[in-house]
Amino acid sequence: MEKFAPVKRSEDGQPVRYLIVDDSVFARKNLARMVETFGGQVVGEAGDGVSAISEYERLTPDIVLMDITMPQMEGIEAAEKIVRDHPSARIVMVSSVGYQENIVAALQRGARHFVQKPVKPEVLYEVIKYVMRDDGVTVRSAGAGA
Amino acid sequence: MTLPPEDRMTELRQLFFETAGELVQKLNDEAMRLEKSPGDAETARSLRRTVHTLKGDAAACGFRELSELSHEFEDVLALGNTAAAASVPEIALRAADVFAALLEAYRTGTKLPSIMSLRADIARLAHPAPGGAVKAKKKTRKAAAKESRWSEYEQLAITHAVAKGKHVHHVVVPIDPQCVMPIAGRQMIQLALASLGEVLALYPLDGSLERINQVEAALASEKPAEQIRAKCAIPTVALNVRVTPLCAQAPSHPLRKVPAADSELVDSEVNDKAAMPAASEAAAGVTATEAPSTAEPAAAPAVPAVPDNLLRVDAEKIDSVLNLVGELILAKSMLQQTLLEFGQRFPKDVLRGKFADAMAFQGRVLNDLQHSVMKIRMVPVDQLFRRFPRIVRDVGRQCGKEVELIVRGGQTDLDKSILDTIAEPMTHLVRNAIGHGIETAEERVRAGKRAQGTLRLGAYHQGNQVVIEVSDDGHGIDAEKVRQRALSQGLLRADQAARLTEAETLDLILRPGFSTAEEVTEISGRGVGLDVVQSVLGRLKGTIQIETTLGRGTTFRMRLPLTLAIIRALMFRVDQRLYALPLNAVAEIARTVEEEIHQVEHYDVLQLRNDVLPLLRLGAKPPSGPETARRKVFVLVINSGERKFGVVVDALEGEDELVIKALDDQSITTDLVSGASILGDGRVVLILNMIALMERFTRGRTDATGPRMAGLLSSVVAAESSRGGIGSGEVQARGTAGGQS
Repeated sequence: MEKFAPVKRSEDGQPVRYLIVDDSVFARKNLARMVETFGGQVVGEAGDGVSAISEYERLTPDIVLMDITMPQMEGIEAAEKIVRDHPSARIVMVSSVGYQENIVAALQRGARHFVQKPVKPEVLYEVIKYVMRDDGVTVRSAGAGA
Repeated sequence: MTLPPEDRMTELRQLFFETAGELVQKLNDEAMRLEKSPGDAETARSLRRTVHTLKGDAAACGFRELSELSHEFEDVLALGNTAAAASVPEIALRAADVFAALLEAYRTGTKLPSIMSLRADIARLAHPAPGGAVKAKKKTRKAAAKESRWSEYEQLAITHAVAKGKHVHHVVVPIDPQCVMPIAGRQMIQLALASLGEVLALYPLDGSLERINQVEAALASEKPAEQIRAKCAIPTVALNVRVTPLCAQAPSHPLRKVPAADSELVDSEVNDKAAMPAASEAAAGVTATEAPSTAEPAAAPAVPAVPDNLLRVDAEKIDSVLNLVGELILAKSMLQQTLLEFGQRFPKDVLRGKFADAMAFQGRVLNDLQHSVMKIRMVPVDQLFRRFPRIVRDVGRQCGKEVELIVRGGQTDLDKSILDTIAEPMTHLVRNAIGHGIETAEERVRAGKRAQGTLRLGAYHQGNQVVIEVSDDGHGIDAEKVRQRALSQGLLRADQAARLTEAETLDLILRPGFSTAEEVTEISGRGVGLDVVQSVLGRLKGTIQIETTLGRGTTFRMRLPLTLAIIRALMFRVDQRLYALPLNAVAEIARTVEEEIHQVEHYDVLQLRNDVLPLLRLGAKPPSGPETARRKVFVLVINSGERKFGVVVDALEGEDELVIKALDDQSITTDLVSGASILGDGRVVLILNMIALMERFTRGRTDATGPRMAGLLSSVVAAESSRGGIGSGEVQARGTAGGQS
C-alpha cells in the first residue's frame, strides 16, 4: 500500500475518528485498513443504517463512511437522519457505480461526499482530506512518515 | 437551486413543460413542412422562431442543456446559407426528439439523454459557414446572448446582488472526464458553492447530462476567490477551477451589458410573438386535412405569457371536484329514493309535488355541473393526433413505405387522462398499420392500388363514447392465417379454433402471447404486442374492434368512455343480486321465457328475429321442469364490435348514472367485476367488466363446456360474501346469494 501523509484533527492533532457503515464485513475491514493507512482511527462499525445512527450518537466520529445499500435502513436514510440531528456530521457515501441518483439524493440530504466502489485508497484519501478541510480543521503533517 | 420563491418556480416549470411540449410538436410540424418544401424561407423562419422560443423558455426555467442546445441550433439556423441546407429538416426532427427526451428527463427527474450526436449534427450544419459570415448585428446579439448565459431571471438576481454590493463570482468547474458520477459531482459542487455563499445561478441544473463537462455558477460570496477555488477543487470530481469576479469587468461583460442585452432580447421576443399566430396557422396546415384552429386555444400559448383569463389547474384538483360531483349524484339518488318512499306513504300530499319539482331542478343543475366539470377535463383529440404526422413519416421511412396520413375529427373532445393513456396504444396501432398493414409500393401497384398508402386517424363522438379509429388501406388481416398462427402457438386447440367466428379469430391478435415474433409480420397478422392495446382499453372500460377486408385494409376501432368516473349503466338482477353493465354496451333488451332458449352444441342460444344469438348465463341454470320452462327472463343483447351475444338476466332494475367506486383486490377476486357503486337506497351494485365477460364467453364456448358457463357469477358472489363483501355495510344486496349451487 502506498504511503499517505496522516490526516489528523487540527484542533488536537489526534487521529481522525471514523465510523464505517457497510453490511459487508469484508468491505468494512477493507475500508478500515485503508483509513488506518491515512493515520485514522476506526472507532466503530455498523452493518446497517439503524445501528449506524446509534453508533454515531454514541461515538460522534469525525467521519462516517456510509454504504448506500444496506438492510433495515438504507444508507441515504441513515445519513439523512444523522445529519438532521448533527448538521456538522461528515458523511461520505460509498457506493457502486450505477447508483448515481442515490448518491445525488444522499448529497441532497446532507452527505458531504461520495466515493465509488471499489474504493481506491488514493481517492478516498483525497476525499477525506477534502471533507476534513471543509471546516478548516485538518492538519496535514507534511512529513512522509506513515 | 437557490432561486428564491420555490413554489413560483414549480409553477413556472409546470407551465414550461406544457408549453415546451407544444413547441417541440411545432418544431416537428415545421421540420416536416420544410422537408416537403425545402428551402422555404417562411417555414425556415418559423422553425427558427420555435427554437428560439424554446431556448428562451428553457433558459428562464434554468434547463441549461435544452437552452444551450436550442441556442446552438438557433444560431446555426440564423446563418443564412445553412437555413436552406437540405439537412435542416432532418436535424430539426432529430432535435425535436432530443428536446422531447430532455423535457421528459427534466420532468421526471431522470437521467438526461445524450445530446452529443445532435450537437455534432448541429455543428456540422454550421461548419460550412464559419462564424465570420454572421452579420454584424446578429453577432452582437449572439455574443451578448452567449455571454449572458444566465436566464433573464438569474441575471436579474445577479444584478441585484451586485447592486447590493455583493461580490458575485463566476465559477467554472470543469468536471474530471474520469469522474464516473458527474451528476453526483455536480451535486457536490452545488453543495460546496452553497456553503460558500448564495448560489445565484448554477448550470447544469438538477439531474443532468450523461456527460456533464463542467459546472458553471454565479455565486454571491464574500469569501476570497482562492477559498472558493479550493472548496470547489473536489477530489475525483473537479479539475482546475476558474473563479472570476462577475461584477468588476470591462464593458464587454454580460453584467454591464445586461440592460442592453435584455432589451434586445425582449425586442426579439416581441417580434416573435407578433409572428407567432402566422406561424401556428401555417403549422396547422401540416396536419393535412385539418386546420386545428379550434384546438389552438389549448395549444397556442407557446410562450409562458399566458393570457390572464386562462387558468392552468392541476388535473388532480379537477378530479377531486369530479369526485365530489360523483358523491352529489349519489346523494341525488338517495333523495330520489326517499321521495319515492314519501310518495308511497303520502300519495296525496301536496308536498310531494313540490319535492319532486325541486328534485327535478336539482337534477338538472347537477347534470350541468357534471358536464361542466367533465368539460374542463376535456381536450381535443388533436393534441394526440398532432404527433402522428411525425411518427408516420419516421416509421414510413424505416419501412421504406410512402404513407399519407389523413386526420379527421381532431376537435373531438376527450378526457385528458384517457387521451394520455391511449397515446401509447394508439402509437402502437399506427406503427403496426404502417409496418405490417400497408404494403410496399411495389406490392401495392401489383395489387392495383395507389403506390402511396393511406393511414387514417379519426375521432368522433358516439353517444356517451368517443370512437377513435386507426385505419389503413393495406392488405388486411387474414383471419385464417391468424387462426393457424394461434394454433401453432398453442393459444388454443383445434376444436376451439374451429368454433371461433371471424371476429373472434381476429381478436386473437390482441391476446397476450400471440406471437411477437418476426414471422408473424409476414402474415398480415400484427402480433407485435397488441395485447398492450387491449389491456389499456380494458383499464379504460373501452373496447377495441377490428374490422378488416383482405386486400382492402384494416380498421382498429377503439371505443372509449367520455369519462372514467361516472357511467350510465343498466342495472339488472341475477340470482337476486344486483349487477350493472355500461349502458352503451347494451344494444337491445329482449324478453323471453326459458323454453325459448335452445341448446346448440354446448351453449345456449336464442332465436332473435332472424339471428341466432348465443347466450351467456350469469347465474345458475335453473333446473329443467315445466315451471322453469315458462320462467320469464330478459336477454341483454351485447353488441361489442363484430360480436354479438346475449346475457341472460332475471330481472331489470332500470338505468342510472353510477359513480364508480374502485374495488381493491381484497374485496373481489374476479376480473369479471370492474367496480362497484352504491345506489341511492344504499344497495351495492357490481359493475361487470365487459371485456372479461366477453373473454369468458369466447373461452366458454371454445371450451365446449356449456354447462360450466352457467352460473358464471356464482363464484363471484361466493367469494365476495365469504369475505364480508364490498362497500360499507350495505347488506341488502348481499346474503341473498342463494342462487349459487
